[in-house]
Amino acid sequence: MNPPIRRLALLMFISFALLVAAATYQQLIAGPDYRDDPRNLRVAAARLGRERGTIITRDGAVVAESIQDPDDPTVFRRSYPYGKLYAHVVGYDSLLFGTTGLEASRSEDLTSERDATISGVLSALFGDDLRPKGLRLTIDNNLQQIAAAALGEQRGAVIAIDPATGAILALVSTPSFDPNTLIGPGAASAGQALDDDAATPLLNRATSQSYPPGSVFKIITLAAALQNGVANPATIFDDPTALDLPGSTAVIRNFSRNRCTAGESVSLEDAFIRSCNTIFAQLGIDVGPDALIGQAEDFGFNQDIPFELQTLASAVPPANTFEFNDAALAQTAIGQRDVQATPLQMLMAVAAIANGGEIMVPYVVEEVFTAEADVVSRTEPRVWLEAVGRPTADTVAALMERVVTSGTGRRAAVPNIRIAGKTGTAEVPGSSPHAWFLGFGPVAPNPGENQIAIVVLVESGGDIGESATGGALAAPIAQQVLAAFFGIPE
Amino acid sequence: MNRNAEASLLVGAALLASLGVAMVNFTLGRGFDAQVALTFLVWILSFGSVSFALRRWAPAASPYLLPLAAILAAIGFTEIYRLDAGLAAIQRWSLLLAGAMAVLVLFLLRGEGVRQLRRYRYLFLTVGVLLLLMPLLPDSFPIHGAEINGSRLWVRFQGLSFQPGELAKLFLALFLASYLADNHVAMSAHTRRVFGLGFPPLRHFGPIIIAGGVSFVVLVYQRDLGASLLLFALFVGMAYIATGRRSYLAAGGLFVAIGGVVAYQAFAHVQRRVGAWIRPFDDYSDTGYQIAQALFAMGSGSISGSGIGLGRPDLIPAAATDFIFAAVAEEMGFAGSVAVIAAYALLVAAGFGIALRTRDVFRKFLAASLTIVLGVQSLLILAGVLRLFPVTGITLPFMSYGGSSLLANMILVALLARISHTGRSV
Repeated sequence: MNPPIRRLALLMFISFALLVAAATYQQLIAGPDYRDDPRNLRVAAARLGRERGTIITRDGAVVAESIQDPDDPTVFRRSYPYGKLYAHVVGYDSLLFGTTGLEASRSEDLTSERDATISGVLSALFGDDLRPKGLRLTIDNNLQQIAAAALGEQRGAVIAIDPATGAILALVSTPSFDPNTLIGPGAASAGQALDDDAATPLLNRATSQSYPPGSVFKIITLAAALQNGVANPATIFDDPTALDLPGSTAVIRNFSRNRCTAGESVSLEDAFIRSCNTIFAQLGIDVGPDALIGQAEDFGFNQDIPFELQTLASAVPPANTFEFNDAALAQTAIGQRDVQATPLQMLMAVAAIANGGEIMVPYVVEEVFTAEADVVSRTEPRVWLEAVGRPTADTVAALMERVVTSGTGRRAAVPNIRIAGKTGTAEVPGSSPHAWFLGFGPVAPNPGENQIAIVVLVESGGDIGESATGGALAAPIAQQVLAAFFGIPE
Repeated sequence: MNRNAEASLLVGAALLASLGVAMVNFTLGRGFDAQVALTFLVWILSFGSVSFALRRWAPAASPYLLPLAAILAAIGFTEIYRLDAGLAAIQRWSLLLAGAMAVLVLFLLRGEGVRQLRRYRYLFLTVGVLLLLMPLLPDSFPIHGAEINGSRLWVRFQGLSFQPGELAKLFLALFLASYLADNHVAMSAHTRRVFGLGFPPLRHFGPIIIAGGVSFVVLVYQRDLGASLLLFALFVGMAYIATGRRSYLAAGGLFVAIGGVVAYQAFAHVQRRVGAWIRPFDDYSDTGYQIAQALFAMGSGSISGSGIGLGRPDLIPAAATDFIFAAVAEEMGFAGSVAVIAAYALLVAAGFGIALRTRDVFRKFLAASLTIVLGVQSLLILAGVLRLFPVTGITLPFMSYGGSSLLANMILVALLARISHTGRSV
């Protein structure tokens, strides 16, 4: 009778072994999926009320912090003291809507590792600091506030950078939203209202929305011509009242609906300063599709910008689509037709001109620090692209400086500072034009002198409407930020 | 010698239970109160008195059974206390009562041992079947059945409720051991061959037919899939042990297969259970909810667990009873899961070891059938929680909250211990 007992016992032991295998599968193999399942309330409950790290600006203003509940010291509430101002950079950490911005990308640093798991307890015993870490941003609170105030209620974006390092100095997108409303009571309806808002306040217009660049694209066309030896600033062009596009009935006219200058011919320098479409359309045809598109891609078009916040790639059509189609090429050269650029992309382009042709990888977190304020890591500036050679960059910079001293960008001028710039007014069918300004200063800085590069975009005519231009609407906004950067009172 | 090792292991289990309570007090901020000392005292009183009874009336008994039961009870109790301090207080009383009943059983069997039970075969059968059918008593009777969570397993009397099915298993195991001890020779003979397997005369299939019948009644009228399968496994397993004929296993397997298909076609509650097992997330908010919550809990536990008191086992329906294992797996992690499974495997090994070493047929069969009851019940519910098998809704011996289950399993362990005392004698 014993053999059947042994066999039954064996059967049961095999079953127990299967249970261990099942536990291995459910807890260790499929376990992470179950743990992270959105229906698993533990995930939300674990995050709710846990302390997260503080986020401060370059100059020490607290833009995100966890505040201890006075009744229950183990519970924390996330707070964003500046409300709308940093929403598109810092993002939010919301039970209902998840995390965005730096709250999402730096979640690991910002989250406390203090829990009662064995590894947590062991680390604590070995003296590891498990408290959440804090972030110091590259953004300057003063510049950020001035940029937001200058944009006001208009839809658009202001984004400024240190061209030598890639550190973002200001990043504003309007309209914005108050992340505090997405936390706690009323969050559901507040989030729904933001989602339904036709003005799309949740959209980061600085990094994730592209626009026709219009005339600001001319710095790229100019750079392509200089870099390839097709023309130089003194090169003389015919100055027609309208440029007939080859193989097409369409014509290209200047903004003034007239010749670029009074005479029959004009130098490239004067054409750039006056932002003449006829000359730059012809220049685009002269440069050719390969050189023009290649130059745009060297400035970062058609690729993802390596940035911590979510970005949209800017687009130019491939060079081979312009074969036997000089009309399209001419329109592309003046930033119309299929060219689409985000403000961040145009910032990369102007930063390249400011920085002798090199584009630095943009970043927004300067350093990560512990609860004891010891710096854990600091972002090291890195080169992203070599857009043009230094001679080309310096020549474009010199022409851009003349745009501000005596061209379309005069309203961006800052007393005693050499400012360079370029305006753009992008026609939009069925709406007032988008106004662009991009610029930087000082031109040719002394050693140790800090530069700033800036892009301003105002959607659909802003407060001015139909008569809006880059020079009238966007340049004065840039001027306020530039003046603040150089410490010049209003 | 044996008894001293047992006593020190029991002190260890008592420390484990009170340490568990202390950790819950710490993590949930319940404060350091009398609960810790009280829990230690109850473990010492309950398991200690059984150990003392063994020392007195069965000194040569196996020293492994009681400590394993005490450790499992300590792990289960920690989670019960963590989930609901009120349930834990009742569970402590149940443990004291179960200990007292085990002592009483050992006292009654002090002279002759379990041998004397052999003659009450039909009394046990009657009592067992009556207990099984008790929940069917109409609601108008003073002692009447009650339906909880769609299964009619409970009996109520004057505000007290208990699950007679838990005790019925012991009586049916006793009947079966006694019946097979007398009839196993006749049942071993086979007179015809079907599909290459030898079959005994039809009348010797009596136990199997009774098993099938009782299981079917339990399944249909009480909607208790777990008890039904457990009883069937017990009857078929014992028929195989008694005769050594694989034809019993084959017939039993065929019966389960056919019965399973028929039950699936006929009963909505079986379809729901099976559906929730195969695709728990398809009907997440309804039938799949419990198993899905158990999976979330176990997955969140990972290797070392969330820590006692730091998980959310309260999100699992029936976490303190049928699904106690999921609560342990979440808060004590994979390490805790494996420890619990290993403890049950050791308990089953000890039980079968006793059956193997016992010469007397009745006691051998009794040891084997008690071990099958304990082992199959543990396997069924653990496999259900771990999604290896449909959830069958039975308690996890020693760990689940519930007085009837604790009482029946303590007596089961006491009987096994008593058998092991006189193991090799005839």
